[in-house]
Amino acid sequence: MDYGVITFTSTYGAIYAQKVLRGVADVLTMPVLREISLGCGIAVRFQPEDLDAVRAALAASTLKPGEYAFYGVTGSGGALRAERLP
Amino acid sequence: MSPIIDARGKACPTPVIMAKKAISAGESTFTVLVDNTTAVENLKRLAENQGFDAAAAEAEGVFSVTFTRTGCAACEEAVNSPLPAPGGDWAVFVGRDIIGDGDRELGTNLMRMFFYTLSQGEDKPGAVLFMNAGVKLPTLDEQVVEHLKALSAAGVEILVCGTCLNFYGLTDRLRVGTVSNMYDIVTRMQKAGKVISL
Repeated sequence: MDYGVITFTSTYGAIYAQKVLRGVADVLTMPVLREISLGCGIAVRFQPEDLDAVRAALAASTLKPGEYAFYGVTGSGGALRAERLP
Repeated sequence: MSPIIDARGKACPTPVIMAKKAISAGESTFTVLVDNTTAVENLKRLAENQGFDAAAAEAEGVFSVTFTRTGCAACEEAVNSPLPAPGGDWAVFVGRDIIGDGDRELGTNLMRMFFYTLSQGEDKPGAVLFMNAGVKLPTLDEQVVEHLKALSAAGVEILVCGTCLNFYGLTDRLRVGTVSNMYDIVTRMQKAGKVISL
């Protein structure tokens, strides 16, 4: 994948997650991709190599597993593909 | 002998206003004295936009900017015609550091998402104009700074109000864009086919 995206079931979750991930990985705030139907409007983008650290930080937070989802994104424009990560 | 306009000690945009008056009065060569580099840059841009060459020199803390009309009628016509801004027929005016009037944290996220989307899209504006608290974005917001750098690299003009930077004590912290003034910002608005205000 080119980059990873985390979506959230609530805006509060998205904002909280940014605080959790501060200092864990370099993340960007972005709108949820059109290719991903789940989630509120705010998503968090991260580098593939940070997947494990990001996953661990969110698992240790007060967010419940069902409140967020990971996606791997490849390509851009019309060739963009987003796949849900386990 | 060409006139000398003493604008030392004058706050932005007064030196530009004084130079504009000289141009309006038909002066083809004149010199403006100022005491800071921001005024020098503003005067250079004015000269460029008005069909003048600008030669700047500094001696003992006093900067002199000598305007000389280039005599390029075609250039002046091009400058004065309502052409769209470079890179696109629209501009974005950012007068605050968040989007909307509600929660600040949400507004900060929305602003970052806006610039993320703008930098990723193909239809980019010709200019992004920052005033008032909007100047906190090209100075303090790491994510927005990176998006603005990408936009700038794509040819989008980033103009940042110098008076506003000074007001917030951020003049030395500008990370991307050009310190600008009301004249340049209004000119960019007028040249744009539409201005989207945040």
